Amino acid sequence: MFEKLVEIICNYVEVEPADVQRESRFMEDLGFTSFDFMSMLGELEDEFDVEIEQQEAAGIRTVGEAVDYLTKLAEKQ
Amino acid sequence: MVCSTIREIITYTSQKYGEADAVRYKISKNEIGAKSYQALRTDSERFSAALKELGEQGQHVALTGMTSYAWLVAYFGIVNSKSVAVPLDVSLPAAEMCDLIDRADATVFVADEVRADVIAAAKESCPKLKYIISMQKEESSPEVLSFWQLVNGQEPGFSCEVQPDDLATIMFTSGTTGKSKGVMLTHRNMAENATCLDMKFEEHSVLLSVLPIHHAYCLSMDILKGLSTGAVICINDSLIRMAKNIRLFKPNIILMVPLMIETMAKKLEDAQGLPPEIVKKEVFGEQFHTICSGGAYLPPAMLDLFGKYGITILQGYGMTECAPVISTTVSWNVRKGTVGQLIPNCEAKTVDEELWVRGSSVMQGYYKMPEETKAALTEDGWLRTGDLGYVDEDGFVHLTGRKKNLIITKNGENVSPEELENKIGENRLVQEILVRENEGVIEAEIFPDYEYAEKKAITDIRAALQEIIDAYNEGAVAYKKVYRLKVRETEFEKTPSKKIKRY
Repeated sequence: MFEKLVEIICNYVEVEPADVQRESRFMEDLGFTSFDFMSMLGELEDEFDVEIEQQEAAGIRTVGEAVDYLTKLAEKQ
Repeated sequence: MVCSTIREIITYTSQKYGEADAVRYKISKNEIGAKSYQALRTDSERFSAALKELGEQGQHVALTGMTSYAWLVAYFGIVNSKSVAVPLDVSLPAAEMCDLIDRADATVFVADEVRADVIAAAKESCPKLKYIISMQKEESSPEVLSFWQLVNGQEPGFSCEVQPDDLATIMFTSGTTGKSKGVMLTHRNMAENATCLDMKFEEHSVLLSVLPIHHAYCLSMDILKGLSTGAVICINDSLIRMAKNIRLFKPNIILMVPLMIETMAKKLEDAQGLPPEIVKKEVFGEQFHTICSGGAYLPPAMLDLFGKYGITILQGYGMTECAPVISTTVSWNVRKGTVGQLIPNCEAKTVDEELWVRGSSVMQGYYKMPEETKAALTEDGWLRTGDLGYVDEDGFVHLTGRKKNLIITKNGENVSPEELENKIGENRLVQEILVRENEGVIEAEIFPDYEYAEKKAITDIRAALQEIIDAYNEGAVAYKKVYRLKVRETEFEKTPSKKIKRY
């Protein structure tokens, strides 16, 4: 899941895959805008066949947190 | 038709468009539900009757939630019963939302269950509240009433004489001292702002509403103007699904803020090389033709870029204090580098380089803030916009800068730097702080108290400051978060009155 997420992240912002770590923060470190982030979540819904709650997702700050959240959702749904 | 009350908009459109769709929304992933103009009128009148039955007609009613049919029914039910709606940002931290409910003197709170935390907190911390109404709860309980049970328990046909100068809405906007200001708007302010200019949108145009409903721009342009022109307002259930919802609802028009437009531009540019009509079809659908932009500055290059794909961007300018539109571009009269012409109910002049406006959209003042009101409004009704600019001989508005110290983010949110500076500056390690926008994000530059750091044996000062920022961010609404930190080794340069020089 982490690798796939990195691949998608690199379509939204100009970073090298090697620079994306679990600790990387979307806004501060990777340069996401809030709207980039929301748009990417939409793509992740399709990619991982899950339904993301905007309010819950608002608390996600790092790539690692996104992976954990998506893993949990995939198991639940 | 120019309407002077919101009630007139609802009555006139229910008569004119009757059973035609007024609102469409998702009922499942790929299924759409709809409500007609007549249903919107009937349901909102039932909610007016419910407020009367509760003994709260004419009171202030706070309202929060994602855009939904229930939100719209509640809003129209409130204002068309001579009560005052107080729309609140659904993403506010609970304590801040409770503070606003209290400061607005609301006696009723209508809330979306996504904010169950605020519903719980409001019971404890808003002593003036008499009723809390949940938009989703099916059955009323002694503590929380069910919105739909209240609505469905009433007969249709509520009527009362709403006057144009009745207060309709209090909308909160960023205040310089950190205290949000409640902008008081009457029926005339809002209804005339939305209806005085015929933008020649075709009847039954499909409009996708993607902006937060508590914003004046969305409420006026998407909802009031949309309804008054006979549009079908489609509700985007989440920004996460905007691309999918464009495919589902097939809109002709979307109101956006510059941040969205610039993100969409990246998508269009990524597909360069393909025929424009194919790209447009893929991203927006063949039927799409217009973006209305407002809330913040839009780079003029966007007009050309979208023009290549057959999409017109109509740029507007306004502020909550003006209900909110001051000027807008119309499709048949675009002048690049301007924010369009003044709308017909608005006049403007330049005083000491600052743009002042007057007309039937201008607010009545800030709720219970006479000093702030006096600073914003002159005795003869001019509103000091805080923006530098002028109107040319053809009525086009040119903006040249900003007098007020306000960060306007690309998604149209207004942030007072002083508010953030005061909050973060409460920490002893922060001796001086300046908050500003830099490359699209909010940045804090801090001169730490090095003596204090030494006394407390803080060796990694940057890390300690970052912790302070992180703690602040934790409790801040998304658009007020600080995403960049700069640490200074020397004090800031000061003005003669010992204030930090901002520029």
